[in-house]
Amino acid sequence: MGGNRSTLPAAPAKPASPAREMLRHFLRHPAGMAGFLILLAVALASLAGPGLYGVDPADMAAAPFEPPGPEVPLGADYLGRDVLAGLLIGGRASLSVGLAAALISVLIGVAVGALAGWFGGWVDRVLMKVTEFFQVLPSLLFAMVLVTLFGASLGIITFAIGVVSWPGVARLTRAEYLRVRGLDYVRAAVAGGGRPHYLILRVVLPNALPPIIVAAALAIGVAILFEGGLSFLGLGDPNVISWGMMLGQNRTYLLDAWWAVTFPGAAIFFTVLAVSLLGEGLNDAINPRLRKRG
Amino acid sequence: MSGTTIPPLALSVEHLGVTLAGRDGPLPVLEDVSFGVPAGRTLALIGESGCGKSMAALALMGLLPEGLRCDTGAIRLLGEDLAVAPPARLRALRGSTLSMIFQEPMTALNPVFTVGEQIAETLRLHQGLDAAAARAGALEMLRKVEIPAAAQRLDAYPHQLSGGMRQRVMIAIALACRPRLLIADEPTTALDVTVQAQIFDLLKTLQRETGTAILLISHDLHAVADIADEVAVLYAGTCVETGPASRVLAAPEHPYTRALLACSPRLRLGAAAAGPAPDLLEVPGMVPPLGQRGPGCRFAPRCELAGADCNHPPPLRPAGAGRAAACWRVGDTTLEAVA
Repeated sequence: MGGNRSTLPAAPAKPASPAREMLRHFLRHPAGMAGFLILLAVALASLAGPGLYGVDPADMAAAPFEPPGPEVPLGADYLGRDVLAGLLIGGRASLSVGLAAALISVLIGVAVGALAGWFGGWVDRVLMKVTEFFQVLPSLLFAMVLVTLFGASLGIITFAIGVVSWPGVARLTRAEYLRVRGLDYVRAAVAGGGRPHYLILRVVLPNALPPIIVAAALAIGVAILFEGGLSFLGLGDPNVISWGMMLGQNRTYLLDAWWAVTFPGAAIFFTVLAVSLLGEGLNDAINPRLRKRG
Repeated sequence: MSGTTIPPLALSVEHLGVTLAGRDGPLPVLEDVSFGVPAGRTLALIGESGCGKSMAALALMGLLPEGLRCDTGAIRLLGEDLAVAPPARLRALRGSTLSMIFQEPMTALNPVFTVGEQIAETLRLHQGLDAAAARAGALEMLRKVEIPAAAQRLDAYPHQLSGGMRQRVMIAIALACRPRLLIADEPTTALDVTVQAQIFDLLKTLQRETGTAILLISHDLHAVADIADEVAVLYAGTCVETGPASRVLAAPEHPYTRALLACSPRLRLGAAAAGPAPDLLEVPGMVPPLGQRGPGCRFAPRCELAGADCNHPPPLRPAGAGRAAACWRVGDTTLEAVA
């Protein structure tokens, strides 16, 4: 390096930004693209599907335990409700809870990790103790306690999932800040008179972001599973149909009406799988060392 | 450089002491270091690795690493004592009145922003320019540091530029707000020789244009001879010799300066190239590590002129014509015989 090229007359053709490079690599990643397309399909189906299908998921559309057939494509549950209609509308709750809870956990985690990693010292010690406190609590139990205390509305459930799942993000962010903080360009920015908030948000954050993006993608999957778990246990929002709720309500009839349990379960399975694949694709696109191998 | 009236000092470091907090009390890192940089001139800090050159630079910036503190002396930048300035004031000065360029241009630029954005950021931060004005200012700075096709390079990312160009960008960032003092910590060490010369030329040109005082830290004594007006030689945390660069380098007073200069190879061309090359000298021994500095002259263990009186630390004493040296032998007639 340190090449003697400063007298080169030719200007570079067109500078490719790092973000554009990553996008290019992501688009070529089969698993990542598969995950992205599945998620896109799930999102479109749950957004447009209920309107197009036109069956009220709460309506008794057929006889109870009606098997899949021309009248109800995916069968009916123990109350005669159309499983397909439930799946389409349930995607909204699962996806929105997943996204919102992941957002909450990433916001808390990044804020805690960034402050701890940047300032170090007692700030770091206090924040990491708090993080450890949240980390050692059994998270499903803790979320159940929150939901029982504050009521089982979709908002509270989202909040509860976000609040129990941020410690991993916080530790990851802290580690990234510790790494980036010591790099020359951060020292140069400090020497350039940057204020702490500028250094934390504008100088370090963009460089610490890649692993956080991957963690955020995976957090969506975890949150969807969490919501499913809470609903399965009967702690979901009773007014909102979600995949987990369908699973939970029909689980006792698994032997009589496999379709009422299997389809919601498959929906959760494929959505979470898609999120994992998406996360893997992002990871490979963002991490240049993995990129060369693939 | 001599004879003309010396301009007022942009930076004056007086009896600066920096200590490292240790288990058995503070360890001295810099002791009683004094030097001054006249406005619009260049002072070079020279000395072996571990002598405290970079620590002195970081102390000036108020960016000493954790555990190190500046506890005695004054650092006056245009009369204002930075050693006692509150952090907010230091932050406002850094990057505008006082700026710094680093040794490693490959890593000192933020990889996720274009070079134009990074220069513009400094202008927005310190001069409150809006985005368009800052971008125009960034372009002007890229032209000033003689980057070809500056308009296109404005949108280039650091990894798309060579080392020399990145160092030019660093210089553009450092000089964007027309600082009164620029600290250049070995700005060319990581670059190849032809680029080094270009960077030094550029610094000289820009200095003439902006009147910025430069504190240059360098191992390259030829570059120092070329660019510096004044020299301060550091050894084991103390200042052993100061004076006009041309005189100090031509006729060093302190035995350490003399030894250091003898270690520097000279390129011999033409008639001078005939005959065997003289052996390069080295200074025997090494710089005493922190906490193992003796009570007397720090250089005495490695000095061939050391005597019994060197057990007392010699103060920095005037040695004529704006020079000063910290050695009991300076002014001693036997010295010339040995040299």
